[in-house]
Amino acid sequence: MKEGLLLVLSLIALTSLCDTINQLFLKSAIDSLHFIPTFNLIKIFKFIFRLLITPRLWLGFVFSLISLCVWLVVLSKADLNFAFSADSMHYIFIALASHFVLKEKMGFGRWLGTGLIVVGIIFVSLS
Amino acid sequence: MFKKKVTFKILCLLIASDMLETAVHFFFKKSTLGASYEQVTDLATAVVFLKIVFFSPFFWGGLLAVFSVFILWSLILSKIDLSVAVPIASFSYILVPLVSVIFLHEQITALRWLGVFFVLAGVILVSLSSKERAEQLK
Repeated sequence: MKEGLLLVLSLIALTSLCDTINQLFLKSAIDSLHFIPTFNLIKIFKFIFRLLITPRLWLGFVFSLISLCVWLVVLSKADLNFAFSADSMHYIFIALASHFVLKEKMGFGRWLGTGLIVVGIIFVSLS
Repeated sequence: MFKKKVTFKILCLLIASDMLETAVHFFFKKSTLGASYEQVTDLATAVVFLKIVFFSPFFWGGLLAVFSVFILWSLILSKIDLSVAVPIASFSYILVPLVSVIFLHEQITALRWLGVFFVLAGVILVSLSSKERAEQLK
């Protein structure tokens, strides 16, 4: 890793951030449709169609595309092991965004669980 | 409020979406193999490379898988919180080591087992937290 640890870490943070923004747009687009969970296929396809014509969703896709491009740059600069372990910061971004933007009730158990997953992924990726 | 609860059905959907995502990587990798002899150095060779990939049936299989993952993931998010769905989707970090031990007889280091254990504990905690929440809302 000659390019500098800080640069790679900030790039990974950038992909995670863009991916989180994508998920936020997707979740808010889905919530805006007030879809009632069902296993009726016709209703599911109607739901997917209405989702696909929601502008917010495509805004999210743009961020997803940026995330993919930056990720490719990351992979060209860093080891896959390191990239994946650092990418686990994604879970922290999602938790923070869910708490502050979507106002989901996180609770102690969910914070602790998310933290354990991050530690676990770092162990799995580095071993 | 059944909406916030992680049920067995949602867990199945999550595992299915995880497996499909693996299929996406597999298909896309396969679709580039037929063109791997092409040296992509400039725009013209890039176009040739993309043409070969584009006509590979694996590429279209991959696109189909991408769309299926999108449908599954949208259904999951319509039922549970984002802060529950994303952590539980880390299930593959448990599934992949287990599958590689049982079916591929791979050796797994102690540190990796420790990591798998941490992820498992985290997934259980996050799932339980959404159940508690659902009961409080009742």
